[in-house]
Amino acid sequence: MMNVDVLQDERHHRFVLNMGPQHPSTHGVLRVLLEMEGEYALELQPVLGYGHRCHEKIAEYKPAKNFMPNTARMDYLGALIYNHGYAMLLERACGIEVPRRAEYIRVIVDELNRIQSHLLWLGAYLLDLGAFTPIMYSFDDREEILDILEDITGSRLTYCYMRVGGVCKDIDDKFVSRTRAFIDRLRSRYSIYEELVNGNVILQKRLIDVGDYTPEICARYGVTGPLLRGTGVEYDLRKAESYSVYSEFDFEIPTEQRGDSWASYNVRYREIEQSLRIIEQALDKLPEGDFIAPKVPKKLKIPAGDYNSSVEAPRGELSYYLVSDGSDMPYRLKIRTPSYCNLSVLPEMCKGMMIADVVACMGALDLVIPEIDR
Amino acid sequence: METLNSITPELIRIVMAVVGGVVIVFGNALVMGYLERKLAGHFQRRPGPMEVGFHGILQLLIDGVKLMGKQLVVPAQADKKLFMLAPMLSFVPVFLPLLVIPFSDKMQAFDLDVGLLFILAVAAINVLAILVGGWGSNNKYSLFGAFRSVAQNVAYEIPMLISLLAIVFMTNTFSLKGIVEAQNIWFVVLQPVAFLIYLVCMVAETNRAPFDLPEAESELTAGFHTEYSGMGFSLFMMAEYTNMFICCSIATVFFLGGTSGIPLPYFEYTGAIWFVAKVYLLMFFLVWIRWTYPRTRFDQLMNLCWKYLIPFSLVNLLITVVVVKL
Amino acid sequence: MNVKQIEKKWQGLGAKVEAVAYAQTGYDYDVTLTPESLHGFAEVMLAEGFYLVDLMAVHVKPAIEVVYQFAHFGGQRCRVMGRTFVDAQGALPTISDVFQGANWHEREARDFHGVVFAGHPNLQPLILAEEDVDLKPLLKDEKVLKDVAAIRRQVPEAEAPAAEKAAKPEAAN
Repeated sequence: MMNVDVLQDERHHRFVLNMGPQHPSTHGVLRVLLEMEGEYALELQPVLGYGHRCHEKIAEYKPAKNFMPNTARMDYLGALIYNHGYAMLLERACGIEVPRRAEYIRVIVDELNRIQSHLLWLGAYLLDLGAFTPIMYSFDDREEILDILEDITGSRLTYCYMRVGGVCKDIDDKFVSRTRAFIDRLRSRYSIYEELVNGNVILQKRLIDVGDYTPEICARYGVTGPLLRGTGVEYDLRKAESYSVYSEFDFEIPTEQRGDSWASYNVRYREIEQSLRIIEQALDKLPEGDFIAPKVPKKLKIPAGDYNSSVEAPRGELSYYLVSDGSDMPYRLKIRTPSYCNLSVLPEMCKGMMIADVVACMGALDLVIPEIDR
Repeated sequence: METLNSITPELIRIVMAVVGGVVIVFGNALVMGYLERKLAGHFQRRPGPMEVGFHGILQLLIDGVKLMGKQLVVPAQADKKLFMLAPMLSFVPVFLPLLVIPFSDKMQAFDLDVGLLFILAVAAINVLAILVGGWGSNNKYSLFGAFRSVAQNVAYEIPMLISLLAIVFMTNTFSLKGIVEAQNIWFVVLQPVAFLIYLVCMVAETNRAPFDLPEAESELTAGFHTEYSGMGFSLFMMAEYTNMFICCSIATVFFLGGTSGIPLPYFEYTGAIWFVAKVYLLMFFLVWIRWTYPRTRFDQLMNLCWKYLIPFSLVNLLITVVVVKL
Repeated sequence: MNVKQIEKKWQGLGAKVEAVAYAQTGYDYDVTLTPESLHGFAEVMLAEGFYLVDLMAVHVKPAIEVVYQFAHFGGQRCRVMGRTFVDAQGALPTISDVFQGANWHEREARDFHGVVFAGHPNLQPLILAEEDVDLKPLLKDEKVLKDVAAIRRQVPEAEAPAAEKAAKPEAAN
């Protein structure tokens, strides 16, 4: 905690500005203490924990399978991907084979989830920068995804669609045709986003060279995801560790060289198209078969040992680390969430910045606070 | 008796002017409040207010009643006197410039010889009100907003005045009526640079996006009016809308030929229709850019003023002077 | 990235290196460290281009196990678990001067398990409230506390790394 007395005493021309937990651009319950001198923030200190819900402790008190709904409550924008990572962890630990159709369904819904997360980020980020209108357009598109996913998963935000060994419900022809229609729709909207938003001079002036960082800083802080790819490092777990069936699809990892807010903005924006490509290929190649492994034991005993599963969440690397003592309850479950590490770079990134740039940087991190606090 | 006879028309004139001014202030706030929300809705592919009345036309009345019913909360540590004074200080002066604006040939309360200077002098009080409000709230965000507002408005008044001075040099009068009458061709044709500079300054002076830094929600929550609720807030809002109206009126008088338009019967009165139409066209423009562009950063805003607008407006003034004298 | 060379460097620090089957466990190397070699290990990892994925503490019988997970940005997959033990009285050297990202992870471990990291610049509660400094919510009760052997993978034939490598990948991918 910053020493407020000292500030008032010795460096009396500085003051502490308390941003959050209720502030429009901290997206939830993040609190940042800014030591300001005029418009410039000299020191930043994020204060966490307002949304802490003890997920790791809860995990130790219920059968491993039953923890699935909790995973969705961590990152409400990447719930299906969190589901996927957790399902993968248990399958890996217990050696359960997942049917190919289930893997394909997982990939499709993962990527839909990723697109809706990026669309929400796009709108909310521009709202942070003072453009009120784009969020309505991106929500318009996002709504389509939510409707599609609602049809098969039954919920709109905190999905619990995946099960150990597959998914809980098969997809139907209606899902396939709606998803295809959505792909065409979103592609037809690119020109709107590109001409009205990305090409805007004010936006570019606000983002270019704001919040510089390098691959080295990323390594020291463990920054992953679109932020890392914004520095030119081509690192995406979908390729680097090619989990599930991602190795069967042809897609690129968008990278930018600049390492600033504008770079990560463009990386995210271009990822939407790559996700669409994956979905398209997956729909074309969708195999027939079971959507869930036939023989998954009711009581899932996890062999003793430690297991790890890492997936690429919309914001970066998500890792589950499970320590088991041989019972059906995890002995310890640690969840590494991407925003947690991405946020930790903020004090270094924003030193000496204007308050408007701090907001721009914070938006570029694409924070989801519940996954930081867990 | 004779003195009474000579006073009475003047008195009636004053009373009518004041009543007319109040009507314009409230009427404009209602119309603009509705238009802004409706237009914003349509820019964003949604209908906007729809529930109260036909296409939500009574929405603003309901909102007005709601705002009046709200408690005016004064923060515990605030400077109570200044806090209460600020909304009034903001609201009262914006009504004065309306007195000199020539809505039509006969609809003008006072034709001052120094009409332009009067408007600019009175409009500057608004800055003071924002500073008082921001300071009195005893909130860091409010103070930020107030400081930004002062820096911004003071800076942008310079190019605004210089661009208008170019017109004054051409017409040799500060009287708004004189300027309208001098326009055989609209000055927007003769002085396009001055018009563009004025438009940019107008957006900044009225604290509208993309130059709405004093109330930038994503940075300063609500800027100088963070702590205001109920009528305190709505007085600030009404002042902002009236300020927009006045700035657009000046643009109409100086660049768009004031009342000139297709002749109508009783033109000395009905010319006001054209005047108001032009004003609202400009207001539409203001709303349009607000819902289109992201916000600039504060240093970019100041750079734009000091590095581009002021030099350009000075050059424009110089060229005008040379051409007029030749 | 030359894995063999890095492996040598680890062994040079006195660490016990064990290759494990990725398909079964989700990581490639298991490196057992002493608290003294921890800082050197972190320096090696940074120099080799690894990034700190996560830091977690597991409460087991003799002492608290602290696991450092690293992965590599390069094209080749290499996920490393460095593990070490610290008892309730002892302290681990901080690695937050090497990997600044460890700063928050170490504070979190202090919050939940009470692991003390010597030399940490600001070991204040991060996720818990300030008054909950000594809550340590993730420490196990005596009843459920297991011995460290109980959470180790059971390898059928002795502890031969070769046997582990040969273990058939049964997981989905």
